[in-house]
Amino acid sequence: QHSKVSLHVSQKSVRQVLEQIERKTDYQFVYKLDDVDLNRKISLKVSNELISKVLDVIFKGSETEYAILDKQVFLVRKKHQSMSVPTVPGHKTSQPLQLQITGVIVDDQGIPLPAVNIIEKGTDNGTSSDFDGNYTISVSDGAVLLFSAMGFKPQEIAVSGQTTIDVKLLPNTEQLGEVVVTALGIKKEKRALTYAVTEVGGDQFTQAKETNLANALSGRIAGVNVSSLATGAGGSSRVVIRGNTSLSGDNQPLYVINGMPMDNTTMGGSASTSGGGFNIDHGDGTGGINPDDIESISVLKGATAAALYGSRASNGAIIITTKKGALQTGLGIEVNSSFTLDSPMDFTDWQYVYGQGNGGQKPSNQSEAVTWGRRNWGALIDGSTYIAFDGKEHPYTAKKNNIKNFYNTGTTFTNTVAVSGGGETTSYRFSASDTDNKGLVPNNSFNRRIFSLNFNSRIGEKLTLEGMVQFNKSKAYNKSSAGDATGNPNWVNMLANTVDARWLDPGYDENGTEIEWNETPYASNPYFVANKFKNNEVRDRFIGQFALNYQITEDLSVKGSVSKDYTNFNFTAILPTGTLYTNNAAGEYHGFDLIVSETNSMLNINYNKDISEDINLGAMVGGNIRKYKNEQTSFDGTQFIIPFFYSFTNLVTSTTIPTNKHLTTNSIFASFDLSYKNFLYFNATAREDWFSTLTASDGSNSNNSIFYPSLGAGFIFSEVIKLPEWFRYGKLRGSWAQVGGGLPDPYTLNESYTMVPSSGEPLQQVTQVSGQRLLANSNLRPYTSTTYEFGIEAKMFDNRFGFDIAYYNKTTTDDIVNAQLPVTTGYEYTYFNVGKVENKGVEITLDGAPVRSDSFSWDVNYNLAYNDSKVLQLAEGLSTISVASSVGGWAEIHHEVGEPFGVIKGYTMLRDDDGNIVYDTSSGFPVKSELKKIGNSVAPLSMGLNNHFKYKNFSLDVLIDGKFGNDVFSVLNVYATRFGLSKRTLEGREEGLTLTGVDESGNPYTNYIPSTDIRSYYQNMKNYSDHFIYDGSFVKLRQVVLSYNIPVEKLKLFKLQSASISFIARNLALLYSKTDNFDPESSYTNGNAQGFESFALPRTRSYGLNLKLKF
Amino acid sequence: CDKGFEEENTNPDASTDVEPEYMFTKSVYDALNNSTGTVYEFSAGGFVQHFATYLEVPGLGDKYVYTSGTYPYAYFSGAYVNAVNEIEKVVLALEEDESKTNMHAIASIWKVYVYHRITDLYGMIPYSEAATAYTQSNYSPAYDTQEAIYTNMLETLQSAANAFDSSKASFGSGDLIYGGDTGKWKKFAYSLMLRLAMRMTKVDATAAQTWAQTAISGGVIENISDEAILPYVGGQEINSNPISFQLRNNNYSQSNGGSSNTEGGKFSATFISHLKENNDPRLTSVAAVWVNGVQDTTTSIQQGMPNGLVNKPADFGSLSEPNLNTLLSLTASLTVVGSAEMNLLLAENAARGWISAEPATYYEKAITNAMSNIGNLYGNAAAISSDKIQDYIDSHPLPSSFEAQMETIHTEFWVSVFPDEIEVYSNWRRTGYPELTPVSVTGNLTNGTIPRRLTYPPSEISVNTESYEEAIGIQGTDTFVTRIWWDVE
Repeated sequence: QHSKVSLHVSQKSVRQVLEQIERKTDYQFVYKLDDVDLNRKISLKVSNELISKVLDVIFKGSETEYAILDKQVFLVRKKHQSMSVPTVPGHKTSQPLQLQITGVIVDDQGIPLPAVNIIEKGTDNGTSSDFDGNYTISVSDGAVLLFSAMGFKPQEIAVSGQTTIDVKLLPNTEQLGEVVVTALGIKKEKRALTYAVTEVGGDQFTQAKETNLANALSGRIAGVNVSSLATGAGGSSRVVIRGNTSLSGDNQPLYVINGMPMDNTTMGGSASTSGGGFNIDHGDGTGGINPDDIESISVLKGATAAALYGSRASNGAIIITTKKGALQTGLGIEVNSSFTLDSPMDFTDWQYVYGQGNGGQKPSNQSEAVTWGRRNWGALIDGSTYIAFDGKEHPYTAKKNNIKNFYNTGTTFTNTVAVSGGGETTSYRFSASDTDNKGLVPNNSFNRRIFSLNFNSRIGEKLTLEGMVQFNKSKAYNKSSAGDATGNPNWVNMLANTVDARWLDPGYDENGTEIEWNETPYASNPYFVANKFKNNEVRDRFIGQFALNYQITEDLSVKGSVSKDYTNFNFTAILPTGTLYTNNAAGEYHGFDLIVSETNSMLNINYNKDISEDINLGAMVGGNIRKYKNEQTSFDGTQFIIPFFYSFTNLVTSTTIPTNKHLTTNSIFASFDLSYKNFLYFNATAREDWFSTLTASDGSNSNNSIFYPSLGAGFIFSEVIKLPEWFRYGKLRGSWAQVGGGLPDPYTLNESYTMVPSSGEPLQQVTQVSGQRLLANSNLRPYTSTTYEFGIEAKMFDNRFGFDIAYYNKTTTDDIVNAQLPVTTGYEYTYFNVGKVENKGVEITLDGAPVRSDSFSWDVNYNLAYNDSKVLQLAEGLSTISVASSVGGWAEIHHEVGEPFGVIKGYTMLRDDDGNIVYDTSSGFPVKSELKKIGNSVAPLSMGLNNHFKYKNFSLDVLIDGKFGNDVFSVLNVYATRFGLSKRTLEGREEGLTLTGVDESGNPYTNYIPSTDIRSYYQNMKNYSDHFIYDGSFVKLRQVVLSYNIPVEKLKLFKLQSASISFIARNLALLYSKTDNFDPESSYTNGNAQGFESFALPRTRSYGLNLKLKF
Repeated sequence: CDKGFEEENTNPDASTDVEPEYMFTKSVYDALNNSTGTVYEFSAGGFVQHFATYLEVPGLGDKYVYTSGTYPYAYFSGAYVNAVNEIEKVVLALEEDESKTNMHAIASIWKVYVYHRITDLYGMIPYSEAATAYTQSNYSPAYDTQEAIYTNMLETLQSAANAFDSSKASFGSGDLIYGGDTGKWKKFAYSLMLRLAMRMTKVDATAAQTWAQTAISGGVIENISDEAILPYVGGQEINSNPISFQLRNNNYSQSNGGSSNTEGGKFSATFISHLKENNDPRLTSVAAVWVNGVQDTTTSIQQGMPNGLVNKPADFGSLSEPNLNTLLSLTASLTVVGSAEMNLLLAENAARGWISAEPATYYEKAITNAMSNIGNLYGNAAAISSDKIQDYIDSHPLPSSFEAQMETIHTEFWVSVFPDEIEVYSNWRRTGYPELTPVSVTGNLTNGTIPRRLTYPPSEISVNTESYEEAIGIQGTDTFVTRIWWDVE
């Protein structure tokens, strides 16, 4: 950006001058405090001069010399002859010098490091590395060399007779001068920020990988709540920062790659909470990012941080910076391979006292065995024989390993090769990666290939060009459905407890027809689904970004960027010939072709000037045009005419429906930064967005724009107030911002009418959205989210302890609420501008380094976040809105006034004022209460604990995370109770149950249910949802990585520069949980309706090896 | 900065205006194509013991249990968001235009048809405030009493019948029932009026008589040529006979071959035994047993499945089910309002002395029309010869006492108006004929009695709470045993 600089100072300290240069340019100074005389006063007047010339002037005649590498300026003490003279009084003068050691010092990217201090431990003997990282030092044999440089972790190496010692220094992430990437890709010193930003280095994601990058954020950052979906490889993610902002809108953050927004559309929409057949999670945008390409991820938690992004920042922003090329030593090739085994975790704990059957009887013939296929109301499991659904005789014994027997152990093989290099004007990095996954359900697989090229180039003095091109192809076969029973292989969980899952294999007869194993064909045969159902996803994604930056004057630059994120997605689901629940068992066809594209064109002008010696001003104005399109053509049909020929051309009935959604958001924005000396920072931004989605097509609504301001201030009190020596750094910050948003969907302001495909007379209906009747509302306007936050951060004890505490309050007003309507309105839902939601919370991050010795170190990070959300207002007269309902409608997710976002509502047994259960005398069962709150779907409290241990060449990372305070409604347990699998159904099996309470008139009531009829009692339990609600709190051992850095200097093979091998594991253990028979993280949709468990894939425990090589 | 946004936010795949003729056609289809599986087979069709299933989940009609699914309220939900909303928009679009009074009248009559079926199943329903969300921003429609709804429906029919003007334009081919024939629509309006009038005999015999006499003097559908028949051309699902489509989907198909019916369904033993015992020739028109992969219509082998079973009977595969080639043909026609029904109601009017005529005349004409039209509806394979019709009439004379006449007329109604199960169920509740023996299974919700209504959807309870509570405050608890206004004991 600034290779030249202008300065006008008189009698300022070197420190102040260096700070000015850092502010005005991209250059950063790296030095040891002892090496540079920072207090020396100088005067200087230069105009648009090369940085090197300016530095020559500054350090002329001083004891400091400098070296420039990339954007870093290394300052070192000039070498004096005396430093290499070993004869320092009081030291081991008697020992003769025996060895001359040479070597190269590089950073973790392989870039040579100049100005590294090399000292023979215990002596004054020392030197420093040159511009190419080379050094030479003469030491005694048996010496220990200490390598240190500003910004890097010091390293000690015993000489032990070696004459060549190449060293890699790892960056010290705890350093003070940390630079983070903020909105629009602007890099800022962390100390200058007025809001909470957390950055995670790419190395956190590259070993134990998640196929969806976003899932790897789980437990890493206070206030970042990741729902790990149980939908397998190629599934999507749900990340919510600081609570849900909008009742109906997308609550996930904006993802930005290298400064430009990325598309994170869930292909074909989120899976539904109660769907069946092919209720599949098709994956989202974050699933298409290669973790090995990540340089860093910076999370802008609050609206204040992200306000420059306008409407899309109301949920925060996640800024991904990809690795760039640079001048290399060696070949510049990196290889990263990992292999993991993914085994299904079995949480079921059924009753194995009574086996399959009905009324205390085990099946005596095939017909009974089928009718009672899911019923466990049989005889005592006694090891006798019985006839099962297949008509064969089998032992009547407990079958406890059906999960293990049905599911495979999956495998994931991930390989990335990256090549990078560069010269004076151009650098590049190219990577290719392949991820190959075999899933848990037989015949499920996923493959993803990503090719990525990053480059930047300096075209002449004033012009730079940078860009990124990524091509991504992924294919998924036979992803598992979740939710309802139809076509859902995970219904294998509901086999009777004396039935072995493998008896169902292969699930079809000689005609290819599904074999019935229970009374209803809607509960599919899991093997038939695994072996015969087909669904294919093919995704082609292309991301291109180009940015040109022109330096008009020393203070002023202009940057134009354009980016496009384009996905072509194709999905086909075949319910095959022989599927019993389809019409005439002739199968069904469902598919869609989808193009999603997001194009952003941005222009901004940057101005940066020192108004006086103490005051620096930065200003930026810009504009952006965002165009988004989502063009889908759906192909659906029933009954394959020629059996087993699965083509859209071979259907008895078929429909083709196009859905084309286009929208544009135009924006202008500006930001203003002011800093005073090095301790006071002020920041203001403004943005206005205009939404096409809030523009009525008939011109009746022009409330389509909204203005977003933000203000922030930071005060580094440790620079002003005299603090104890151990208190290194302390900062207070505060900020306020308003952001907001429009509708995600176009065409919802005015009603429109669609022709219905007809083989007879023309038919017209009200336009439906995803098969639902949406009531158009032309009065909509943008919603507003107002946030203020305060924070304090500090570092102390030689940076061995630090904390960051933040408090925020975020209130959304005029929220556009997707409200279910009574059907009697003629519609099923609408959007109202009525919502008011408040989220307030505290985030605490503690960093520590309890042990930091030469051979052993322990770094620990603990983060904790508490978010209190409250729905303050819905439409007038509306106290609750229904967002989703479970299979069977037994539970619903609601937003209710006075309650947190997303409460789970259901029914309980009606009780009178004295607590007696009220019975319905018609049925003999308890009366079902009205619909009421039975739980909270969102966890208010979350935490993560990261430990990093290092011992010599070994390192160990352990991540534990947890969430607390939410509830989960378990559909699995509803059915397990209904079918007698659940342990709770043991009561009354022998002697029946006597129910006592009162009748509807309040008179004492008793009902005796004989043991032969006990099924009817437990079958009826589903009406009382509170019996199936579980505390969803958990603590998990999320990740363990044990690495060994292979000392390659001894290998000298294939120009190998570094190598490491690691044992990697994800989701190793559930340390704490209160759920029965299921994993507390069993969500199967990334939509706003969380809080249901409903036959998703089992949680996988993954473990394997990772190998990293660098040439 | 918002240039071009109006165009950008216009759906490229939709039009901005209602086309009344096209939407009217959709509304006609939708009124008949509403939850036919859940209502015809699994609730009303089971209550009146035409159908049976041994399974529990679809067992609401068969055994008065409700485990899961949308069986009690699918009709309610489906009606409002489709046929109701559409016909309200059509009526509104035609209201202001003087030149379109005929179309407006037809649409108004159809609106009555749409609503009366909902209120007959549920009792109090939103009527005056229904589907006004887009026009009047009413998001919580109040429920009207059934009495008020009936009064308004009858008046609407009267004014629509009076509004026809043969000099003005009418619907064309988009009117699938009558092709825009205003004379026939007038008969339809009076026929519907007679249907509604007779519904009130238990609760308000005086009003029933008055409206029945108005209807009859206006002229009702007495002959096959005037019948309101909805033809289906097949092809798309919407153009296919919805009962056939759904029942094939749920239960009866070539591939299931009678033995693995998805929802465990068969014809009820009550229905098949009745047809068999009475030598009713319609038995072989609608029922068949699978023999070697072919549906066999031989009378002697026809046998229904008893209602109230909880396990699959051993002889399930050899029980009678609907004939896929006749009743369940995808191109079979549906009777919206037929002459058999009208003649039976006329016979009752004669029996009550509300008109001066011989009840047997109408009774015999009802049988003749019902049987002779069956081939037109379901194809030649279902056709019944005039000899057989005469034999049946000869062996089933109308008795002489009023109560016996009622029993004979309405037992005939139970057969003739099949498969319009909503109408059959309403008529059974009003008259009590035929006398049906309820089943009693553990866990049934009615204490072993045949339900008197269906229950409202959960969405009404959760998001139209006040209106819902007001309604049940007047009507009684939202259960299957609560009686609706016209169904007094």
